[in-house]
Amino acid sequence: MTRGALVPSRFAPVLTSLAAIVAAMILGGVFLAMRGKDPLAAYGMLFSRGLGTSYGITETLIRMAPLLIVSAGLLISLRAGVWNIGIDGQLMVGALFAGVVASAVAGQIANPLMWLAAALAGMGGGLLWALVPAILRVRWGLNEIITTLMMNYVALNVTSWLVKGPVKDPNVVPPQTRLIPQEMRLPDIAGSGVHIGLLVGLVVVLLVSVLFRNTVVGFMLDILGRNRQAAIHAGMPVNRLTLVALLASGALAGLAGANDILGVKGLFQGNWNPGYGFAAFALVYLARLHSLWIIPFAYFLSFLAIGGEMMARPLGIPTYFVEMLEGLMLLCFAVATYFERIRSPFGRAEEIETGPATAGEPPGPLVGDPVFEPVARSAGGRP
Amino acid sequence: MANPHPPAPLSRRAGRGGNEEPIDRGPIIAMRDISKRFGPALANDHISLDLWPGEVHAVLGENGAGKTTLMNVLAGMYQPDAGTIRIAGEEVQIASPADALRRGIGTVYQHFTLVPNLSIVENVVLGDEGGFLPDLSAADAKLTAMLADFGLDVSPRTEIRNLALGQRQRVEIIKVLLRGSRVLVLDEPTSVLTPGEVTALLDLLRHLRDQGVAVVLITHKLGEALAVSDRVTILRNGRNVGEFGPDVMTGAAKESVRDRIVEQMFGATQPTETRHHGAQQSIDVSPGVAIKHPGHSEPAGEESRHSRTDAAFSRDSSFLGMTTSLRRSPSRAESGTTLLSLRGISTLGDRGAPALQDLSLDLHRGEVFGIAGVDGNGQKELGEVIAGQRAVSSGQIFLDGAEITNRGLGTATRLGIGYVTDDRLHEGSVAASSVTDNVALKAIGRQPFSNGFWLNRRAMDEEARRLIVEFGVKTPGPETAIGMLSGGNIQKLLLARELALAPKLLVCNKPTTGLDLRTARFVVQTLREQADAGKVVVLISSELDELMEISDRIGVMYNGQLVAVMPRGETDLETLGNLMLGGARRAFKVPA
Ligand SMILES: Nc1ncnc2c1ncn2[C@@H]1O[C@H](COP(=O)(O)OP(=O)(O)OP(=O)(O)O)[C@@H](O)[C@H]1O
Ligand SMILES: [Mg+2]
Repeated sequence: MTRGALVPSRFAPVLTSLAAIVAAMILGGVFLAMRGKDPLAAYGMLFSRGLGTSYGITETLIRMAPLLIVSAGLLISLRAGVWNIGIDGQLMVGALFAGVVASAVAGQIANPLMWLAAALAGMGGGLLWALVPAILRVRWGLNEIITTLMMNYVALNVTSWLVKGPVKDPNVVPPQTRLIPQEMRLPDIAGSGVHIGLLVGLVVVLLVSVLFRNTVVGFMLDILGRNRQAAIHAGMPVNRLTLVALLASGALAGLAGANDILGVKGLFQGNWNPGYGFAAFALVYLARLHSLWIIPFAYFLSFLAIGGEMMARPLGIPTYFVEMLEGLMLLCFAVATYFERIRSPFGRAEEIETGPATAGEPPGPLVGDPVFEPVARSAGGRP
Repeated sequence: MANPHPPAPLSRRAGRGGNEEPIDRGPIIAMRDISKRFGPALANDHISLDLWPGEVHAVLGENGAGKTTLMNVLAGMYQPDAGTIRIAGEEVQIASPADALRRGIGTVYQHFTLVPNLSIVENVVLGDEGGFLPDLSAADAKLTAMLADFGLDVSPRTEIRNLALGQRQRVEIIKVLLRGSRVLVLDEPTSVLTPGEVTALLDLLRHLRDQGVAVVLITHKLGEALAVSDRVTILRNGRNVGEFGPDVMTGAAKESVRDRIVEQMFGATQPTETRHHGAQQSIDVSPGVAIKHPGHSEPAGEESRHSRTDAAFSRDSSFLGMTTSLRRSPSRAESGTTLLSLRGISTLGDRGAPALQDLSLDLHRGEVFGIAGVDGNGQKELGEVIAGQRAVSSGQIFLDGAEITNRGLGTATRLGIGYVTDDRLHEGSVAASSVTDNVALKAIGRQPFSNGFWLNRRAMDEEARRLIVEFGVKTPGPETAIGMLSGGNIQKLLLARELALAPKLLVCNKPTTGLDLRTARFVVQTLREQADAGKVVVLISSELDELMEISDRIGVMYNGQLVAVMPRGETDLETLGNLMLGGARRAFKVPA
């Protein structure tokens, strides 16, 4: 008799996301109209170029790859109740590592091995960058929202310094690593203009889906994210899990960086920052923290980005319009979930679907044992 | 004994002296044919309920009967699928909790909504429709009088976190009354209170009734309901199955009402020969009907469970107010060998203050060790230390002679120490996760739920289904989020989960809180059976009756120490009560 009866409940949460998207696009249209642009023309061009041209579709699919990888990583941390705001920094460091390693070994070993080396280097870089906040969080209870955010700025400066000096390609003027020749980069998926990074992205999302559906670690991460105190009570190694969540999302951010180096750019440039982190947040929330829903939403957001670029120039619309749309979507999404909660009968299960609930309260100093042992402690501040 | 009395006819406002002033012409709230369905579960099935001004109205019923749902409908939390609500004769739609409050319906939830870091006056004014800059000093004056009136000897500027639970509850009540509530709904308000606080609360409710407030009291403690209520409504399986009016509740026949209420709550399907009352009686607690564990299980015996619980509940010693006891040889504990030893344990509480000080204790196979004490004297921390959930700052713990100090809860669980926490909503269960996931929570890394890496979803599901049947848990299915279950049913699952791990030692902190009479009996008896089968049960409880009934030894906690440990036969309620309040330490110091 209620909404739930009309729609299979599996899709109900995503309907909220769709509503948020529509609302955001309407608000964006109002904004365009205020700037004296015709919103219908703009959206018409967005769709006709983004979806209706093979160039648009190819570019969208290429853009999807890093988004998929980054979002899968972010999903791991958010499901575990850990807020990794440092995706961008981890991605940059990963990209730099990948760029350095790839250009160092390119041509000396078989290409697939070079890709593998670069991918591992990228993951290592991202992991390294997540390691600092992870240890600070687990060992001393520092809030990872702040530390991961700070690490973004550090990453920006450190990578641009490195690429100006120690790892710079000495043969060119601009600060960048040595270019990997086009023929050594990731090949296209047969017959398309889309490099195989997309497949990597899809596989990563599937693996994360399996992680949460079928493995003990995924189960524990979920429990941790929903109720940290219950995880402690159940004897789960909460510190190790927190560590795993942050490091995994860092490593995947690094892998996404490596993907763009190997598939698209061929080198790391100073100050290169694609800013996938923000899009990933929007994406993961729109997908309602559900791994497989990431795929369609990643396509949609990539389409927005590419289609937005394609329509912005001819219509004289600022290129940040798409970023604004993403922001509006998150905003509308927050409002929509608020109404969703009021209307739903989930009176007592407040934690349902709100995602990370514990991020605001980092643990106090730990009693007893080091990072790698499940520590017996009882969280402070019961209500 | 079959009950000769038919249920009391619905009585319509049989004259009660005192308040038949103008408001007294009809019920202030008339709920008619309220239905509310959650998926397959019909939580409320055409329930009608009247609330009269100047009455305390008890709503009783077994776990999952639909009490909370009905009150949530009244409080605007849920919209009913069918039925009408009239306030003072006028039909209304109650759109939200705020709307309910505006219409004079105030609800005090079991989980308080006060902000701990704000003062009383700030909390009371918070959310009031007085704009952003409320006039605190005006409120102050009003509150000071009201606080005194409510027996709260504190300044309105006191921060909430410095108040005891019972005091916080009063502030909650004041808060809704100050908004002009004429109807006050309390959902299991006494489960968090000490006995003294309960008495005070009941006095307060009488006082409010005399002021003309319509009070709704949901409780599982029949004694409380009988003590204060003018009217009783009994829900069963979502239906209103009986109502007792003031003529019965306040008349001379009050005593005989108990039996009739119990009968209506659970249905009169029990074999009548077990339904004695009034006399002391012994129950056969043969281990033969013990809970079946995975590994050595026979098909889950629904029948045996029911006959057992029925037999148990027919005794109802606690609500009949007499101390019957399970008769068993008292020497059993001494004959058991030591399973767990605590030596000189000290630890800190959540706020960093010492919670346990130099505590030593030996627990023997086959005993129920009861722990009494006023909340906050270290019982919870002691339970957590034994269960490995709280690290100790000094001292040692031995299990079967092997030291396990500070090895963590995971290790303790693997070694066969189980722990049922008293905080079932925040710690014991993950509200948003399914019943199945919650059942598997504590043993997820082991067979049969996983091989350490891959989950075995089928095994998890089977175990959940088995426990649901065996413990009679009311749930639409194992995939339902556990937060959707009624409080009592969550508690059953937590206990079931622990027992299914077949622990050697089981620590239970207030395991019967929120359980209906029958289920509480079942739990208490199950614990006794565990001990009789050679396990150790540590029972932390604020129900002294319960402790006296099944413990072999009872320890009293005061100020982080076991101030006395006594064999059950050598103590009584009065002694325990004194010791709990810090009375003289008895000669029976724990053998070190
Ligand atoms: N939000 C909900 N979603 C799904 N089912 C629900 C929800 N709320 C209640 N139920 C179901 O409705 C039934 C009645 O629940 P309710 O909480 O009203 O019982 P209760 O009488 O308060 O029990 P208890 O004494 O254990 O608190 C239960 O079977 C419960 O599982
Ligand atoms: Mg209830």
